Amino acid sequence: MTNPSAVPAAAPRGWRAMLPRRSPKLLVGVGLIAVIALFGVVGPLFVGDPATIRDVGLTPPGGDFPLGTTLTGQDILAQLAHATRGSLYIGLLVGVMATFLSALFGIVGSYAGGYVDEAFSLFSNVMLVIPGLPLVIVISAFVPADQRGSWTIAVVLAITGWAASARVLRAQTLSLRNRDYVAAARVSGEPAWRVIGVEILPNLLPLLASQFVFSVVYAILSEAGLSFLGLGASNSSTLGTMLYYAQNGFALQRDAWWWFVPPGLIIALFGCGLALVNFSIDEIINPKLRDVPKRGKQQNRAPQPAERPDDDVVLTVDGLSVVYQVGTPVHAVKDVSITLRRGEILGLAGESGCGKTTLAYAVNRLHRPPAEVTTGKVTFHDRDGTDTDILALKPAELREFRWSKLSMVFQGAMNALNPVITVQAQLEDVLTTHRPEMTKAQRRVRCEEVLRLVGVDVRRLTSFPHELSGGMRQRVMIAMALLLDPQVMIMDEPTTALDVVVQRGILREILRLRDEIGFAVLFITHDLPLLLELADRIAVMKDGEVVEYATAEQVYAAPAHPYTRKLLDSFPSLTGERGAFVRETSGSPL
Amino acid sequence: MTALEAKDLVKDFHVRVGLRRINLRAVNGVSFTLTPGRTVALVGESGSGKSTIARMIARLEKPSAGSIRVTANDREVPSKHYRNHVQMVFQDPFASLNPFHTIAHHLARPLKLHGRPHGHDEVIKLLARVSLPADMAHRRPHELSGGQRQRVAIARALAPGAKVVVADEPVSMLDVSIRLGVLNLLARLQREEQLAVLYITHDLATARHFSDDILVLYKGRVVERGPADDVILNPQHPYTKILASAAPNPDARGRLLDIDPADVEEAGSAPSYDHYTDELSQ
Amino acid sequence: MRYYARKLAFYLVAFWAALTLNFFIPRLMPGNPVDILMAKLAQRGGTVDPAARRAYELLLGSGTDESLLSQYFSYLGNMFRGDLGVSVSSFPTPVSDIIAEALPWTLVLVGIATFLSFALGVVLGTLVGWRRGTWLDSLVPATTVLAAVPYFWLALILVALLASGLGWFPLLGGYDVVLSPGWDLEFIGSAVYHGTLPALTIVLSSVGGWLLGMRNMMVSTTSEDYVLTAQAKGLRDSRIMIRYAARNAVLPSVAGFAISLGFVVAGSIITEQVFSYPGIGSKLLQAVQNNDYALMQGIFLVITVAVLGANLVVDLLYALIDPRTRVSG
Repeated sequence: MTNPSAVPAAAPRGWRAMLPRRSPKLLVGVGLIAVIALFGVVGPLFVGDPATIRDVGLTPPGGDFPLGTTLTGQDILAQLAHATRGSLYIGLLVGVMATFLSALFGIVGSYAGGYVDEAFSLFSNVMLVIPGLPLVIVISAFVPADQRGSWTIAVVLAITGWAASARVLRAQTLSLRNRDYVAAARVSGEPAWRVIGVEILPNLLPLLASQFVFSVVYAILSEAGLSFLGLGASNSSTLGTMLYYAQNGFALQRDAWWWFVPPGLIIALFGCGLALVNFSIDEIINPKLRDVPKRGKQQNRAPQPAERPDDDVVLTVDGLSVVYQVGTPVHAVKDVSITLRRGEILGLAGESGCGKTTLAYAVNRLHRPPAEVTTGKVTFHDRDGTDTDILALKPAELREFRWSKLSMVFQGAMNALNPVITVQAQLEDVLTTHRPEMTKAQRRVRCEEVLRLVGVDVRRLTSFPHELSGGMRQRVMIAMALLLDPQVMIMDEPTTALDVVVQRGILREILRLRDEIGFAVLFITHDLPLLLELADRIAVMKDGEVVEYATAEQVYAAPAHPYTRKLLDSFPSLTGERGAFVRETSGSPL
Repeated sequence: MTALEAKDLVKDFHVRVGLRRINLRAVNGVSFTLTPGRTVALVGESGSGKSTIARMIARLEKPSAGSIRVTANDREVPSKHYRNHVQMVFQDPFASLNPFHTIAHHLARPLKLHGRPHGHDEVIKLLARVSLPADMAHRRPHELSGGQRQRVAIARALAPGAKVVVADEPVSMLDVSIRLGVLNLLARLQREEQLAVLYITHDLATARHFSDDILVLYKGRVVERGPADDVILNPQHPYTKILASAAPNPDARGRLLDIDPADVEEAGSAPSYDHYTDELSQ
Repeated sequence: MRYYARKLAFYLVAFWAALTLNFFIPRLMPGNPVDILMAKLAQRGGTVDPAARRAYELLLGSGTDESLLSQYFSYLGNMFRGDLGVSVSSFPTPVSDIIAEALPWTLVLVGIATFLSFALGVVLGTLVGWRRGTWLDSLVPATTVLAAVPYFWLALILVALLASGLGWFPLLGGYDVVLSPGWDLEFIGSAVYHGTLPALTIVLSSVGGWLLGMRNMMVSTTSEDYVLTAQAKGLRDSRIMIRYAARNAVLPSVAGFAISLGFVVAGSIITEQVFSYPGIGSKLLQAVQNNDYALMQGIFLVITVAVLGANLVVDLLYALIDPRTRVSG
């Protein structure tokens, strides 16, 4: 249920979440944009007339002309300042118009739903697949040059450039539209425009910003291309027109790099600055993209000899601590010691954030940075008498150990199966890796065998996960866990997302298989009553510590820790007394 | 005296399969009445249509057929005042509060929309009614725990002065140790303010203790209804019996292996109790 | 099947929309366009004769008593017969002949370059996303700079450095002009040699987009439960990366192919111009310079059809790699 890779720290929300995190990328990006924008806005005030023709054609940079001159002796610095202004102007115009259009078609359409949405979406998609630049070229070619101002070009670019953004915005709005807070706003009687403007739009701001940035880059690049082809705005000078003149003046052939390189460089740097800012915006939209700390070398320690506590024990966790190495380190698991006996079901109960999942993953070393095992030991006592110090295994040994000795069942109704390959491929994966000597036919036989064990029709082998019901997917997960006949199975909330009746069926299956095959189960759940019914022994976790560790009967009859009592009280008995419910009945019957 | 009367509610969803449109009947002829000061529980598994009923009562979906009548002081409430009287508490408090806005915004807006005073004092009064301190007002949802958020969601539902509250699985997303607190709060408010509550849940145990009457829903139909204790302790309909026997019960340790699989579930397929539907449709 | 039918229908609608746009754009021009165009043509020293005038009138729908609707239908009829009109710049060659001659060059160049860039971007993106927190991370900003560089500028710089400067590649053209086009080894070798630099330009400037998209999806996919399951299964890293993470992460890249293809096509047109490549992009610009509107529109239509076709193929491919689209429900 809880993903241990998610850092247990609250992400900021509200306005603050809309601001990018300060990072080197962002600083460089903002710096580039600021310098170039400043140059474009203020520059033209300080330089001379860019059109003045002098008889100092193609002077290299230096002296009076810091960036040299053109073929006709015009000051390139002056031209550059004016051209930057022109390009930024068009970029901004297109950015605003295209963002407006994409918001109109993307947000309004998807909020309205029904035929409006279908029509808007079809229109956006058609606009998207019709290639933009050829269309722009055709339109520009038809518009007479004297009517082809910056505005015309900007409008044409905006019309051909909004569709991709609209599609992105539509997808996001569709997902936001189904959020409960939008429904809640509607229930409290908010009018539609306020639902869009006040409830949905603010949450789209990062996306809108990113699409705006994208449009500006698109516009500046396209305009440069158009101008380079001689189809740009006739009344303004942009970086594109500068390049057009440079090319037609054979700047490169005459080795006048100072004429040709700077305009392109400014476009590239500006685009790069915007892209860097976009990285930071992307990180707001999808926090997973944030930079991760550099990977530390996995330190391998020497295996420590373990004394066998008891012939009966298959897994020993001894003083295990797991820490999330974030700003202030979070001790998710604190000095936990538990043992798992052969063929027993050990229940691990606790509420969200108590560390039960982190513990289970650390046992198999599936925890990911920033989680780190700081102290403790996990020992696997094999049937054949050898002991394995799991935390000391080298990568290859660890791979070999996993699944063949200890397999896992995740909360599989959702995402534990790969959606794009068949059930058979996912089962066989295990066999090809761990049992390379098996033939294709043998693998097939084994896969069918385990599916029959969990009561799934073998014809389901060719199915994809989405073709199975939630209960069936979980059975497939259990079948997969059985493939190599492991001695331990860790089950992480295996039935939480399922309906009670389906859940019963799966639990019965687990019990039956345990009795037949004899593996031990570490069963993790928040559902204490379920464990009381299912498990042999129960460990209750709170804030990373095991606060209660006893047989199920003891936990039920005489819980030692107040937290266990509180948990038990929280589940009202179906047939017994009301427990901690204060409600009284009143009024007349139905 | 009734607060809300739902009569023969039907909801069809249209699903396009190829070029054909298929009708999926999510809710099929469900009727019930809500009374001030009493709680009715709608119990069912996923796909039973219970949430669709909640959304129809909250006017988030339009019924395909049937009627919903709200009465206040023995007079029918006109359509435009409907939302003043009927409010809803959503399942997931992490999703039902807008991460962008403060708690005060969430409470002041419904006050304002329903023409009530909506100053800071009123917001604090609302918070006090759900036992939250005044300084919550200027916080944002992410700074609150799940239980606190759900209290805010309850306060929001109370803000317009609603007398009918639909609670759609209000505690299923919360940690178990705080569930009772929230349910007890709902129960207290219901008693003190004589609310009519529709409690939607899949959990038989809380349904039994929290509500006065229970309706068991299966595939869009009510298969059993009656006083809470009767339905749970002495279920009549086979489906209710299965539900009751499937709920965890620590007192019945070891019974798991005793149940005949065919009784509960056909191996490997989704729960199939179609023969009960056949029975029902007769 | 439903998925395929829907896609096919969509592309038919899109094609019709492009045809209609093509019909209306010239008719929406202000003033008396035929006169303006004839004047422009005369300025450039084109053939100003009644036949050219007639060609313009046909294009613009002026000088005729036909209703707009019947013009539209006869236009559609012409299109379906493959009659794209007559080029005024190389009068009286039919537009379709000019296009037929130039099209293969562009298809091969842009096709191969796009495929290479897609493959390279996806492979690099997979690696960068999988090995997060290593030196590979620095590839991301580096390719971003390349993506922000105007195509033609990069092309010209490459020409200056690699062709003029080092003499590794020819300056321009699609093949050595002393050879006559044909399917002999020498000619193909020359064409490959001439096409390398334009292709390099297209690949360099478009690879960043694919890389970034793939990398971001890899990062998201890596935290999915099925990747965790694969790790718990003890599979080898390379297998998890390819079969579990990349296999899922590539889906949005393929689904978003349409967006990127537009950019590649746009860039290619300009790149062809820089290299005087004998493809359709250069022809389009010649048409623009010579006010050869029929040719221009014909090329626009052909490019549109090619792009639509490519997208359709990708969409069909998508159905193959994502089993979920095949659900009939």
